[in-house]
Amino acid sequence: MSLLELDQVSLTFGGLKALWELDLHVDEREIVSVIGPNGAGKSTVFNVITGVYRPTAGDIRFAGDSIVGLRPHRITSRGIARTFQSLRLFLNMSVKENVKSATYGHTKASPPESILRLPRARREEREVDALAEQLLAFFGDRLQGYRWDQPAYSLSYANRRRLEIARALATRPQLLLLDEPAAGMNPRETHEVTELIVRLRDELGVAILVIEHDMHVVAGCSERVVALDHGVKIAEGSYEEVANHHAVVEAYLGRDPEALAES
Amino acid sequence: MTDPAQIGRDEWVARSADRRDEGTGLRRVLNQLDARVGWWPRLAAVALGGVIVGQLLTNVNLQQVGFNSLLYALLALGLNIAVGWAGLLDLGYIAFFGFGAYGFAIFSSAALGTGGSGGAHLPAIEIIVIVLAAAGVVGVLIGLVALRLDGDYLAIVTLFVGQAFMEVVNNVDPGTLGGVNGLFGLDPLHDFGGQVSSTLGYYYVALAALVLVAAVLRLLDTSRTGRAWRALRDDPLAAAAMTIPVNRLKVMAFSFGAIVGALAGILFAAQQSTVFPTNFTANILILIYACLVLGGVGSITGAILGGIVVTVAEQMLSSPTDAGYLFYGLILLALVAKVRPWRRLAWVLGGIVALGFAAHGIVSLISSSAVAGHPGSTGWIGSVVSNYVIVPSNPVGYGNVLYIVVLCAMIAVVRLEGVRRLLAVIPTVYIAACCWESRLIVNPAITTQIMIGVVLIVTMAARPQGLLGSRRVEIV
Amino acid sequence: MHELLQTTVNGLTTGCLYALIALGYSMVYGILKLLNFAHGDLYMVGAYIGYFVIQWFGGPNAVSIPVPLLLAIMVLLAAVGVGVLGMAIERFAYRPLRDAPRIAPLITALGVSFVLENTVLLLFGGFTRSYSTPTFISFNSGITLDGVRIDSVELMIFGLSFAMMYGLHQLVQRTTLGKSMRAVASDREAAEMLGINVDRTIALTFFIGSAMAGVAGVMSGLAFNQISNTIGFLAGLKAFTAAVVGGIGSIAGSMIGGLLIGLCESFSASYVSSEYTDLIVFGILIATMLLRPTGILGQKALQKV
Ligand SMILES: Nc1ncnc2c1ncn2[C@@H]1O[C@H](COP(=O)(O)OP(=O)(O)O)[C@@H](O)[C@H]1O
Ligand SMILES: [Mg+2]
Repeated sequence: MSLLELDQVSLTFGGLKALWELDLHVDEREIVSVIGPNGAGKSTVFNVITGVYRPTAGDIRFAGDSIVGLRPHRITSRGIARTFQSLRLFLNMSVKENVKSATYGHTKASPPESILRLPRARREEREVDALAEQLLAFFGDRLQGYRWDQPAYSLSYANRRRLEIARALATRPQLLLLDEPAAGMNPRETHEVTELIVRLRDELGVAILVIEHDMHVVAGCSERVVALDHGVKIAEGSYEEVANHHAVVEAYLGRDPEALAES
Repeated sequence: MTDPAQIGRDEWVARSADRRDEGTGLRRVLNQLDARVGWWPRLAAVALGGVIVGQLLTNVNLQQVGFNSLLYALLALGLNIAVGWAGLLDLGYIAFFGFGAYGFAIFSSAALGTGGSGGAHLPAIEIIVIVLAAAGVVGVLIGLVALRLDGDYLAIVTLFVGQAFMEVVNNVDPGTLGGVNGLFGLDPLHDFGGQVSSTLGYYYVALAALVLVAAVLRLLDTSRTGRAWRALRDDPLAAAAMTIPVNRLKVMAFSFGAIVGALAGILFAAQQSTVFPTNFTANILILIYACLVLGGVGSITGAILGGIVVTVAEQMLSSPTDAGYLFYGLILLALVAKVRPWRRLAWVLGGIVALGFAAHGIVSLISSSAVAGHPGSTGWIGSVVSNYVIVPSNPVGYGNVLYIVVLCAMIAVVRLEGVRRLLAVIPTVYIAACCWESRLIVNPAITTQIMIGVVLIVTMAARPQGLLGSRRVEIV
Repeated sequence: MHELLQTTVNGLTTGCLYALIALGYSMVYGILKLLNFAHGDLYMVGAYIGYFVIQWFGGPNAVSIPVPLLLAIMVLLAAVGVGVLGMAIERFAYRPLRDAPRIAPLITALGVSFVLENTVLLLFGGFTRSYSTPTFISFNSGITLDGVRIDSVELMIFGLSFAMMYGLHQLVQRTTLGKSMRAVASDREAAEMLGINVDRTIALTFFIGSAMAGVAGVMSGLAFNQISNTIGFLAGLKAFTAAVVGGIGSIAGSMIGGLLIGLCESFSASYVSSEYTDLIVFGILIATMLLRPTGILGQKALQKV
């Protein structure tokens, strides 16, 4: 049984078929990439998985149970965390608080307990603090020291992407969805992202589904690649297979020759 | 290879805390204080200050002002939970204030008795527990409706909640709720054989309540719940994706706010010993908003400060002498704060003074009846300005026209730039003074309301974070 | 039966006024996503303008010009005056806050509403003023259908409201301005990049919306006679309810919502109790919110992620 299974999932916006009868699975500790031209429906896949949109047809199972119709916070609590392509940090909260806020689902202290600082509240707060520091340490000293207390809006673009990943990890996921984690990064940073993705899987044991345009990242980390176009899966397999698949070449060439040239 | 640790690291950001200490003069001192003094010592200072001020409130009027300040501070604190922390524009807050007041009134008067005698007359602790619990539940119910709504719809529904509360207390069961006549003859707060009977007593009760609520809210703010609220305010969708149950937290914010509002209502009713429907109009709601907005949305200290500042200012406006200090003081403050360098400031101030005396002199030569009226200010300000402002013997129509002119002139000042703006400031201030002396100061009630509206508009435009809030970044 | 029809006519009259105010709300909301709390007060200002026009031309008992001309002047002046006022408010209070956090312009709108209401209080006093319409437009001047009387003020309200709504519909659908309005409403930045003058479009939207509120003010003065500085609050609240019930952003929706609220009000006043009308309207609002949050004709906006 796979960790995540999408079974004939479709989603339409009015007349637009954003996703059409999509089958997709991610196994435990697997790294899968989703590629496809802009508007192919990649982010929409993430949105239906995390409950932002409800699929018009089909089923989504996580660890064997259907998660269709669950509200987003429930889905995340079950173990699917995500980052956003358009970066949706809590800009006015500090770096550390951003990470800590994502632990809401696995902490329990009720408001009265917190107000009275009863033992459980204190213990949880200590644990959450330690978790946040541990997760931020994943990124070298980028998000260390004085940065902890800085508001998220003061971070550079690359650091915001990193913080999004740390925040998602704080929900203690089994499956991590990364939406274009290397967008807007320079080649060095992009290379780091590739290494980071592998490290996350190796050290934290999470499965990772990653959307990425940068073919270096895709080639460097993924065990399997899925290509989408117009909401339909057009190819699946190893990086080499997919990259040379005629439908994929056509999808990129047909609309976006530059993307091909880049890859 | 360049050191990877240096990429993306900006020292400028790292040193922002140091820079905050720079600044100049008073601002620097305040900033340093703000940065160095911890939260709990601050609260202790507020409590201590409150007690000391209480000792200085020698007459009942002052004590009443003191009580009202604390009451509005408390109200602003409660409003801040939904508005400041959870980012929900709650315009029905006034209903919870009323709910608490009416709740207290019903259980501590003859309302539940027959024919004006009997009734519940419960002791304070029992009433507080019952009413606050009920307020919490009502808050949850309204919150449950509110959940279905996004920001703006929420505002309109809650605005209607406030209106509905008014209609209910006005019309439903006049035998119990008293209809338009309200409820009167309420017991003072009493329990364990003692009772609070003086205004000063209520002042201290309100102080205790305020400090307690502020402490509780601070503890909540630094807990997982407070974090979740702030996350929700920044980005509800991302909050949900980070395991935060958005709906439940919204309801909680409503409910907590309702409880604080109701507590304030209880104090209000007990101190006043009467309640009327008109105590809970939209005007009062806007007053509470002014407190919160001026103090700084999202900040506990700000809410308290805002409550005190607004109440004291409102009180000052109702006395012709103090109103003068407030009006001329604010103008002076604004000029000192905005006009630089000092030389220019001197020119502007000189211009304002000279223009007035010149205008007054010229007009009095032309027609003595045009300056026959008396300025509204009394005391030394009154005598100083009597040869400065032009007040005709029948100032009403004249004052009205000036009022419109002042509004237009203010707009012009905002629109103009550089030296022209400074030149426009001079006549604007003078006309404003004439209008003030001939019309505004004579109608303190209306003037107060207008000022409250202006405070909301100006604060939002010039300093949305208020006196003490921190500036927010939002992607819209 | 007669009573039923008469109640319907009364309800439709009020409903038309709500619809006119609701339209302005809805337009402004559509284009700026701003709840303009001051909109109800603009309606109140319109009512005052109409009142002073009557006074200017000799007062209700001695109108010095033909009544139709008087009415035309009232409507025109109120439309232009209130329209300009609305535009000024947009320019000076809301425009600086266009990129501010969502809550800021809402609070400003509360402030503007408060200032307007109290400015009128300062200038004209808090007492209720009367149009005394019956002294210059006879109650019997309308038509009688089957024993149900529709007086000429009511006729005028129906005529004018439908004409204005039709005009607005044409404007939005047919003209360049209408196209710009729709473009700005759906995506301001994209509209700007396409060379649409966003500021001007928003200003004109405010002008049109406010002008309709001003006209509604005059007509409510004619129909109900009593005006005071506080009439804007409740009228605004109910008109907004109408906009929401009908589906915000939709012209036909505002119309339907307005008529619905008007009918509800007059029926509950006739058959239940006039004291509870507001509560009943509130109930409708809540029910709409719970059952169909997008209103009767509104469409759900999906949030893009
Ligand atoms: N909320 C929405 N409403 C309407 N169309 C949408 C919505 N979200 C996405 N789409 C459309 O679905 C298609 C896929 O979008 P998306 O998944 O964001 O593409 P990408 O592969 O670039 O991430 C696009 O055509 C987009 O316009
Ligand atoms: Mg995408």
